[in-house]
Amino acid sequence: MSSVEVGATCSAEPGCITCGDVAVALTVISSAGADAQCQDDEGRPELVATELVGAVVPGDRLLVHAGVAIERLRAFTRTGTGEQR
Amino acid sequence: MKFVDEFRSPELAEVLAREIATLCEPGRHYKIMEVCGGHTHTIYRYGVQDHLPEDIELVHGPGCPVCVIPMGRVDDGIAIAERDGVILTCFGDMMRVPGGRGSFLEANARGADIRMVYSPLDALRIARENPDRQVVFYAIGFETTAPSTALTVLRAKAEGIDNFSVFCNHVTIIPAIKAILDSPDLRLDAFIGPGHVSTVIGCRPYEWISKDFGLPLVCAGFEPLDLLQSVYMIMKQFSEGRAEVENQYSRVVAYDGNPVALKVLADVFSLRPFFEWRGLGSIAHSALQLSPRYAHYDAELRYDLPGVRVADPKACQCGEVLKGVLKPWECKVFGTACTPETPIGTCMVSSEGACAAYYNFGQYAKQRLTLEVLQ
Repeated sequence: MSSVEVGATCSAEPGCITCGDVAVALTVISSAGADAQCQDDEGRPELVATELVGAVVPGDRLLVHAGVAIERLRAFTRTGTGEQR
Repeated sequence: MKFVDEFRSPELAEVLAREIATLCEPGRHYKIMEVCGGHTHTIYRYGVQDHLPEDIELVHGPGCPVCVIPMGRVDDGIAIAERDGVILTCFGDMMRVPGGRGSFLEANARGADIRMVYSPLDALRIARENPDRQVVFYAIGFETTAPSTALTVLRAKAEGIDNFSVFCNHVTIIPAIKAILDSPDLRLDAFIGPGHVSTVIGCRPYEWISKDFGLPLVCAGFEPLDLLQSVYMIMKQFSEGRAEVENQYSRVVAYDGNPVALKVLADVFSLRPFFEWRGLGSIAHSALQLSPRYAHYDAELRYDLPGVRVADPKACQCGEVLKGVLKPWECKVFGTACTPETPIGTCMVSSEGACAAYYNFGQYAKQRLTLEVLQ
């Protein structure tokens, strides 16, 4: 999987995704098979594995950790997941 | 900041802080443990403790995965990486964790090929691109991260990628909380439960904490107002004589978690009989290993590892910090011999570690000043 920009490098500064229990809210732009092209609220893209949340369609909101969607979010859910720290 | 400011409003924080203060019982001291390293980071980055009455003390728990990784497991990773043809991959914070033979960064300087990745799926991509090399993912993390490792193993199997394996160090949060509650040197009044771990496991696995120990637990989000609201919910429980599991982070966490993720975890992993946690010792059924169905992808079976238990440096008091018995600045080497640039203990490595959080956001200076004034 090629992740772009959003967490493209797992940096120790300002925080590592696993140590910080960091997950980001992303919006699905398109999907192909088990992967979906998503973007965050700032428009930054990321390719996300979606097997754990089922089929997705453009506009769906996902909570993503380490390139994998771990939960669906309600459409109105704003960021507020502790990211961009 | 777009869409985030609403969770970081100083005005709302003041309102919540006043409400919390009215719920404090005069003369009572409250110790509330935040289990998750992400919460520790938020608390010190945004000064959440400063908004709370003095009688409410936030105690830092063992929820930073690299902080609890024992030195021997770091050495095992280095032993894998030093084998011919191996590429070891890991998350960022793991690179600087000191083992008995140095850190992964130092191993790289000696010629090993250890690469930082954002996702275990990136490690699988590296394996795909390097069919003549063995690629090992050094898996750490709680239940938030374990599903991504599990999914990667499933994809490796589906694609028939044989040059990929996992050195599994995933741990589980519930046994660690139990070990803390069984510890004789710590009295806690309540827990702030981990937000994204709970996205996977839900809130139900915490119910024994309320039923058996009579302690409130509130699953919390990671923004400053999330944490203040969680403290408010805990204090409300105290004032009403309740001890329950509540979900403050309901915009993300479903009470029963993610059943698909739980099913994948149960398929790919099994519980280890025991696993050593730095500072907490050996805890039964507290970590994951690849289940026999996926033994082909288990680096512990693929490679002969030292598997030696390495004692922590004597000066390091990470164990007491991880149990909340000591504040970071009470450690003998904090801020002197042990800094984020030259960490002795794991709590100083990750910015979510309690010591690094204190160090980076200046709390230690404030606390030391207080001590000096008292002396």
